[in-house]
Amino acid sequence: MVKKYIVPLVICLILFMALFAGCTQPSTTPAPPSEPKTGGEQEPEPPKPEKDKIVFGSVHSISGPLAIIEEAAFGPIRNLWFKDVNERGGIYVEEYGKKLPVELIEYDDKSDIGTMTRLLEKLILEDKVDFILPPTGTAMLYAAGPVANKHGYILPGMSGGATTIKEIIGGLPYFFSNLNFSDTQVPAFGELVSELGVKSAAVVFIEDLHGVEYSGAVVPEMVLRGVDVAFVKSIPQGIQDMSAIIKEAKAADVDAFLCLAYPDENILCVSQSMELGFNPKLMIFGPGVCYTFFKDIFGDEGVEGLMSWGAWNGKSTPESQELIDKIGVANVDWWGHNLYWAGMQMLEKSIEKAGTLDQSVVREIMATETFDTVLGPTYYDENRMLAAECHTGEVGQWQSGQFEVIGPKNKATAEPIYPKPPWPGQ
Amino acid sequence: MVIEIIDIFLSGLLMGGIYALIAVGLSMQYGVARVLNVSHGEFIMLGAFFTWSLYTYCNINPLLTLVICGPVMLLIGFVLHKTLYRSIRISSGGGAAFEGNSMLASFGLLFVIQNMAILIWGASIKGYSYLAFPVNMGGVIFPANRLVTLLFAVIISVAFYLFLARTRLGKAIRAAAQDPDAAGLMGVNINQVLALCFGLGAMMAGLAGTLLSMSFRVQPTMGLEYTLIAIIVVVLGGLGSIPGSFIGGFILGLIGSIVSAIEPSLSLVAYYMLFMILLLVKPTGILGR
Repeated sequence: MVKKYIVPLVICLILFMALFAGCTQPSTTPAPPSEPKTGGEQEPEPPKPEKDKIVFGSVHSISGPLAIIEEAAFGPIRNLWFKDVNERGGIYVEEYGKKLPVELIEYDDKSDIGTMTRLLEKLILEDKVDFILPPTGTAMLYAAGPVANKHGYILPGMSGGATTIKEIIGGLPYFFSNLNFSDTQVPAFGELVSELGVKSAAVVFIEDLHGVEYSGAVVPEMVLRGVDVAFVKSIPQGIQDMSAIIKEAKAADVDAFLCLAYPDENILCVSQSMELGFNPKLMIFGPGVCYTFFKDIFGDEGVEGLMSWGAWNGKSTPESQELIDKIGVANVDWWGHNLYWAGMQMLEKSIEKAGTLDQSVVREIMATETFDTVLGPTYYDENRMLAAECHTGEVGQWQSGQFEVIGPKNKATAEPIYPKPPWPGQ
Repeated sequence: MVIEIIDIFLSGLLMGGIYALIAVGLSMQYGVARVLNVSHGEFIMLGAFFTWSLYTYCNINPLLTLVICGPVMLLIGFVLHKTLYRSIRISSGGGAAFEGNSMLASFGLLFVIQNMAILIWGASIKGYSYLAFPVNMGGVIFPANRLVTLLFAVIISVAFYLFLARTRLGKAIRAAAQDPDAAGLMGVNINQVLALCFGLGAMMAGLAGTLLSMSFRVQPTMGLEYTLIAIIVVVLGGLGSIPGSFIGGFILGLIGSIVSAIEPSLSLVAYYMLFMILLLVKPTGILGR
């Protein structure tokens, strides 16, 4: 009788122990640094702990649909930072009494959010990296935020962002937002529209977070500025033919055409506008237009006068040209490369100032201090979002092969071209 | 109003020509070689990248690339079938087991080709402007490059149909499609014919890629969207029917154009709705057996 219950009892006991063992995870919140000792007696200085490098971990999209953005925008600037820091001998960390070189462990998430979060936890729990870097794009960043926060890891958010981040960032104290988006870009565009005397516009937006956010901000701004909005239409991702929309905008004879979409749709829209002879006075597009591959496809003449969000160039700050030379002008993302670089500089300087790799100490310094970066004096606001004053521009325009800042006026590097010149050969 | 209707109709034909060309190759591969080639779009992508490379680096006219790209893709497809799919066919013993296994293999092929393309050409978007100017036809404006694409798509598809209908080799292919065992007994070298059919399918995809690259972006991940369209068209036209795929392509193009004119956001939804309705109402397709 007793024998009958022994095996089930043992199994239950093992399961019970395993369950409790699983629940007792080590504390993920880093302990505060110990207070320095004071007093008359001088204790011998304890030996510095051994460490020969700072290991950064990054999960990003090397393959899959997001690989385009990774390759054009984030990959080059991230790799450049590692090369640059190591050429300078590394980051000085007082706790170890020396400069430590930086090393990157990277994984491919195949553009899949589930894979990204799993690999991010692997970096933190198994690889035990010292710091993590952001994944590719806004959706990925939103998913990475809670994971990083759960483990008390700083997540510098240079790879994406949207206005809705403001709603969640309060609950994610380790998340820092670096990109500029619609809340600062659209008002600057509105000022530009008024200044140029735009009378009518047509708006097309992609059916996702980006498109909904930008159209939701742009349309009221246009109406507020007295611009007659002929139509607002949504398009799905992967649309193959935009000729019907372009012909409708052409028939409406609008002054401005706004395509608030991603590189795929923006390229389709530009090529079909060219093919159908649709050339309004102002054309502005979402991400992609400020990437070099866009200029490579259509040439300097093809992109002349096209606007996009951003923006920066060699004239933005004294340090900007040096960064462009390092990246190579053919590889620059004219929206976010300087913001990404500034984010990495802020992290580096915070580590140096903290003198430790303790996340909570570094986070506190990052959140409260002002740093000299490629943007000039740079700091986060009370919500850990890069302060709007630090942005180098909000609206850019291709002019003679250069992406010029044309809005807001106090950050402009050139006067806007209006109306947009004709397409090449037309 | 009349001009608008003509505009929508002709825009549909322009897209339909491209869809037809994409689908004819897949129909060939499934109808005769019995391979539901999920990596069909990757051959389109390869054709597009070959054309882009030749145009960008060697300044070769994209239309001339057709005569380079076609044979290269035919050879790649032929060798792939001779090596990969023939082995699977022998080990599966043919029939439904082969169809299942070959489809799984083509999934693998999709990732292999896509990642190879990323390594060779990089992940970023490529493209070029060719004949990117408007043509006014009776008040209706069309892109010149899409008109050229339609013209070549029709010429290639009709030539392909005539090849199947009028030549001795075409007769062997049709015999293999009807009953491979009986065709083998009648002296048709069935292994050669099946490999040739797969190669011809890859060739059609490559040619479609060349024509697509004149109007659309080129990137390593572009293939899957075209594979999905090709599958819809093949089902619409009737599995394995070459004329059916041709007609199906134009019907899908017209539906896309009409829906885009009314509500652009529903253009892709309309394709999948059509696919589901077809599977429910007439699963054999328009010209399916």
